[in-house]
Amino acid sequence: MRSSAADDAAVIESSWREPERFAVLFDRHAPHIHRYLARRADRQVADDLVAETFLAAFAKRHRYDLGHPDARPWLYGIATNLLGQHRRDEVRQYRIRRAAAAESEVPGHAERVAADVTAQAMRTLLDAALAALPAGDRDVLLLIAWEQLTYQEVSRALAIPVGTVRSRLHRARTKVRQALAGTDAAATYEEITTNE
Amino acid sequence: MNDMELLRELGQETPLPAPAELDAARARLAAAIASAPAAAGLATVPEVATDQPCPSSGQPAGPLRPSAPAPVLTAVRLMHAGAVGTAVYLIIALAFIGDIQAYHLRYLGHSLTAAQLSHQRPLIITLAIVTGLALIALWLWMARAVSQGRNWARILSTVLLGLATLEVTGNHGVAQVFCAVLTWLTGLAAVWLLWRPASSAFFRQCRQAALTRRP
Repeated sequence: MRSSAADDAAVIESSWREPERFAVLFDRHAPHIHRYLARRADRQVADDLVAETFLAAFAKRHRYDLGHPDARPWLYGIATNLLGQHRRDEVRQYRIRRAAAAESEVPGHAERVAADVTAQAMRTLLDAALAALPAGDRDVLLLIAWEQLTYQEVSRALAIPVGTVRSRLHRARTKVRQALAGTDAAATYEEITTNE
Repeated sequence: MNDMELLRELGQETPLPAPAELDAARARLAAAIASAPAAAGLATVPEVATDQPCPSSGQPAGPLRPSAPAPVLTAVRLMHAGAVGTAVYLIIALAFIGDIQAYHLRYLGHSLTAAQLSHQRPLIITLAIVTGLALIALWLWMARAVSQGRNWARILSTVLLGLATLEVTGNHGVAQVFCAVLTWLTGLAAVWLLWRPASSAFFRQCRQAALTRRP
């Protein structure tokens, strides 16, 4: 979600004099940061990390570069760094989702059942592929795929050159495609979604 | 459908959090903001903001000011409702003052004559009014204290609920029992909300903020 009324930089600048202004940034971005964290770890970890993210951001607000009106990359960067201390939780989360998908039943019409089962199989493969990615590659891939950040924004978030963002994304996508390719699930899913 | 679209689809399975899920985080940030002037040495924050141990619903808070989490705010509203309920109870008690003779004969366990009761009626009415007003004040005091993040108020509210539980069985008459039970249930709900995780985080952060400001 892009910043609306007043831009984030203006809010952060005003929070230097009036700290309570920083609450605006929380109201504006906390739900999305929470969802990002919940997607990558479980909700309990997300509850804690979203607080840590904004506490860290608040403590460092005087160092914010006011040349960037949108604070999302900055916040996602802090959240991603904090998530680094919970890599095990994140990988476990993918495994839990994988196991849950494998156990769930899909009642209904035969074709729909086939589509849903295949979609679940794809999710299972995706979760496995994400769990197997190096952390840095996964950060780039998910910030772009889930949070819709641009290359430049990911570069800002993770403090890496744009070229590195591109190469990490390319590497991550290649690995994900390899994990999906050559499986019956991928072929069937492709066929079903093409025919729909 | 390519890998990025599949990933987006996977990501969309996680919904945005409900507002209440962010209450604990909001409370922690509010506490940090409240303690910021002392920590950062900023002197431009209005004095009223630093006088309070934590932001509360009782303050003239604008939309930009962070507030207590939803469970605490709801508990405060319930406590205000409890004060109103107690006032109604008092009015009912006074309206049915004609029955006070039978009521007190049973309640106090004394075998007083009608003449004695008639003689003590002004005293009984005075005591009922004073007790009722004290209870209303207690409700409002607790509501104000918990909205300011005072942990002792949360504990005291719980103790008072325990005492009220013992007292609620001593009522007689349909209207009085109904009103007393309703008021007691209001207190129970308020106390339950005060011990929710988001509320606990709020009280904890307020306490830390108070300790930070202490010289």
